[in-house]
Amino acid sequence: MSTLSRLTSFLKNIFAKQRTDRDLDDEVRSYADLLAQEKIRAGANPEEARRTAQLELGGIEQIKENVREARAGAWLDSLLQDSRYGARMLRKNPGFAAIAILTLALGIGANAAIFTMTNGLMLRTLPVRDPGRLVELLHQYPGEPAFNGFSWDAYQTISDGNRVFSDLIVDSLNVIAVRADKLKPQTVFVGQVGGTFFQALGVRPAAGRLIGPEDVHMGDHSPVAVISWSFWKSRFNLDPGIIGEKIVVGDAPLTIIGVTQRGFYGISEHARQDVWWPISLGPSSGMWYGLLGRLKPGVSMEQARAEMAVLFQAAIDRPDVDPFVRRMKLRIEPAGDGVTTPLSQMLSTPLTVLMATVGLLMLLACANLAGLLLARGASRQHEMAVRACLGAPRARLLRQTLTESLLLSLVGCVVGIFVAYVAAHALIRVFASGRFVMIAPVHFEALTKPDAHVLLFTIAIALFTGLLCGAVPAMSASNTAPAFALQQASRIGESKSRRLFGKGLVASQVALSLVLMSSAALFVEYLSHLRNLNLGFERHNLLLVTLDFAHSGYNAAQFSQLSQELVMRLDAIPGVSSATFSAVSPMEGPGAGSFAFAEDHPEKQTQASINYVAPDYFETYGTPFLAGRDFSARDQDGSHVAIINETIARDCFGNENPIGRHITLNHITMTKGEKTFEVIGVVGDAKYNDLQQVAPPTIYADLLQQGYTGSEHSQLAIRTKIDPDGVASAARQIEGAVLKDVPIVRIMTMNEQIDSSIVPQRLIAMLSAAFGALGALLAAIGLYGLLAFTVARRTHEIGVRMALGATRSDVMRMVLRDALWTVCAGLALGTPLVFWARSVFASLIRDLPAKSPVSVVFGGAVIIALGLVAAYIPAHRAMRVDPMVALRHE
Amino acid sequence: MPPDQTKDQTNLLQGTLDMMILKSLALDQMHGLGISRRIEQLTKGTFQVKPGSLFPALHRMEEEGWLTSSWGDSENNRRAKYYRLTKAGRRQLDSETRRWGRISLAIARALEAS
Repeated sequence: MSTLSRLTSFLKNIFAKQRTDRDLDDEVRSYADLLAQEKIRAGANPEEARRTAQLELGGIEQIKENVREARAGAWLDSLLQDSRYGARMLRKNPGFAAIAILTLALGIGANAAIFTMTNGLMLRTLPVRDPGRLVELLHQYPGEPAFNGFSWDAYQTISDGNRVFSDLIVDSLNVIAVRADKLKPQTVFVGQVGGTFFQALGVRPAAGRLIGPEDVHMGDHSPVAVISWSFWKSRFNLDPGIIGEKIVVGDAPLTIIGVTQRGFYGISEHARQDVWWPISLGPSSGMWYGLLGRLKPGVSMEQARAEMAVLFQAAIDRPDVDPFVRRMKLRIEPAGDGVTTPLSQMLSTPLTVLMATVGLLMLLACANLAGLLLARGASRQHEMAVRACLGAPRARLLRQTLTESLLLSLVGCVVGIFVAYVAAHALIRVFASGRFVMIAPVHFEALTKPDAHVLLFTIAIALFTGLLCGAVPAMSASNTAPAFALQQASRIGESKSRRLFGKGLVASQVALSLVLMSSAALFVEYLSHLRNLNLGFERHNLLLVTLDFAHSGYNAAQFSQLSQELVMRLDAIPGVSSATFSAVSPMEGPGAGSFAFAEDHPEKQTQASINYVAPDYFETYGTPFLAGRDFSARDQDGSHVAIINETIARDCFGNENPIGRHITLNHITMTKGEKTFEVIGVVGDAKYNDLQQVAPPTIYADLLQQGYTGSEHSQLAIRTKIDPDGVASAARQIEGAVLKDVPIVRIMTMNEQIDSSIVPQRLIAMLSAAFGALGALLAAIGLYGLLAFTVARRTHEIGVRMALGATRSDVMRMVLRDALWTVCAGLALGTPLVFWARSVFASLIRDLPAKSPVSVVFGGAVIIALGLVAAYIPAHRAMRVDPMVALRHE
Repeated sequence: MPPDQTKDQTNLLQGTLDMMILKSLALDQMHGLGISRRIEQLTKGTFQVKPGSLFPALHRMEEEGWLTSSWGDSENNRRAKYYRLTKAGRRQLDSETRRWGRISLAIARALEAS
């Protein structure tokens, strides 16, 4: 009962404060009145009685204060009071407040932005039953990203031979165009799933039923589909008649039989699936089975890995297995946070680097804030002393100062959340230009969606910062011996330890921003190095057009004729040097692979990449011929010819001349059988997949001779004499005229394509440059604040010096010397940190030019320059001190 | 009031002051001054409660739910705030009285023993 009563009183005290206060006031006054009456009855005269009564009472305000302190909710009341006071103080010093809040907002915002992405990409768990026990199986070729896709045979082997999985779930994640009566044709992520998919993941239907084992057969499947709740909402407006609607997935007409529960989006956070349809089991060619497993209770990851390794080894060691395939490794990874995709693999390292950088920035912001608060605390000594004398206990003073810094950090937090929002969206725009993304509508909103975790994280940092930064000034504020402070303290100057601590803070800011700046310079250097690498072809003035021949129905002869006609008409455009076709263009992505060996030397086998190219390919791309000749029309009816690059020539033929010799390819990806070619030319090496990988041994086959009929992403390359964008519209027109059934998937310049393959590196360079600049700015502000404050406090001292004969330039030199010492101390502190940071980055990123001194020197130079700029105004102000005024100054 | 004395008195009287207030209101409702005088009377002048301790105690006990207050007219038609016991207050008084009885008995015995 008393709890209820206390709660009621608590609420009344908060919300009806004024009334309660008035009531109390009345009560105390009435007591005084009654006391006086008592005395009058005892014989005293009215004047005397009232005076004595007041004396006995002891002070109305004091009594009221005692009552207030004893009340329920007193702590909240004083907290609110402190906050109001703190807010008022900040309003009186808007400049200080603005800088402090800005500093915090940038630090907190940057951290929150990066954490949002890390959370979205790596930390959020899938909304399925028991995600902790979910694992995925991946295969990985050396040097390539891991891939979750297995053949029918592999699936059978794993399914039959394992004892560690209670469920083996099949899901092939794909991007397919879907159409329906009520739907615009669009491309979405689709999953082809096995019968146990939904069951094993614990997903329930929101309407209708979900795909089950009865829908999946050998060689066939029921023509049914299931859609996601969000798809139902956004495209069909939760139409209850959805069950039974027809939908065409790719080329297959299906009937919708159900909708998944709200919040389920498949097995990847950012590749969210909207439609699922049943897989058809069986060894049909081209079908890849993605595999997820649920560990049996009691089975650990290690056990699963060990068993799978044994199983896999046995399967691979069979004699009929290709040597190519033998180099594959099997991996098992936890899949509770979504399956591994090229995106997640690509981004995990950059995100880690960024988190570290941004954490550093936060430290910098904290140091800055602490310095600012400290400086301000010193100027409020007088005020604190007065309050202490009026009876404020030390704890109260401490709480007051802490409340102020917490207030600053909470406002900074709110602003920081906005900053984070803007920053995350800007980052996403960079991501969206990455090459893996262009083929699929990745759900980037998933990555930038704010989340309870992110919010908690942000508030936690804000509180932590506020407490950390406010602690020292609060301690020193409450420590003031009032008598000392009430004297004209400014005459004496501030305490040595406080000055040293302030300088120490600035020096540490300088050190941290040195690390940030030189890291930024390092990454920018790295990026420009990447952009200027010799790739083996000419990257400028090259336009790439991707064409989709899949639905054109051309045969080889038609393709040959039309493609040659197209090239001829493109050549005729003024501004175009040459044009050509190929199956794959450099930096587009991986292409076909094979094993190659020279005639008579089958033991000297080497892995090779294959590209199918048209005549003029090498001229268009600018890859030089080292020997022999290009493909031409003469070759069409002869034996198979090929052009090889330097590396293969060396690997297969050694020092001998390969022209006229033969080379055999076995196990070309996706086709069976061997092919032998006569070598008619040797060209320079060109990089294909990755800027940083060595150029692969490459064989070029004649597109037309091999009966190429076009694929979904055939490459048309146009070498231009002018800016490539100027030719784009003319090229579009001509293409539309010649190839009527072939849509253009995209047009971009080679430089853009290269950029799309180095998104992580660009990201790191861009962001670290931003952080470096920010860090330098913060350090400069910190230095300025310290110097301005010091000069203000030492005005009296400066006045004395000048009166004793110091010149204006002496004074300026004094201030500058102070500044320079602090900056140099910071540089000395920071330099070893810089080298340590470099070695860490070099271990994470290949080919980083970590030995180059340019970035360190750059960082140091910028900081010294900034230091001088920051010192200029205070020095100037010090110079202008009028001794007469200063000596009278308090 | 000198700071030290308040602290001593508060520590000593916190529990007993509550009890005194409850006792003094056992028979009738009273205003603050009246309670003060009644306590003096009950303890034969030993405890003189100053308003600085009385008011916080009264308000605290009201928040606990042992007392309730209302404004009324005093003897000479002056407005005053009157306090009276609630049912919970009476129960508290009973249990405090019994507890205090046990404590003083125990202390008395301890002092008698040699």
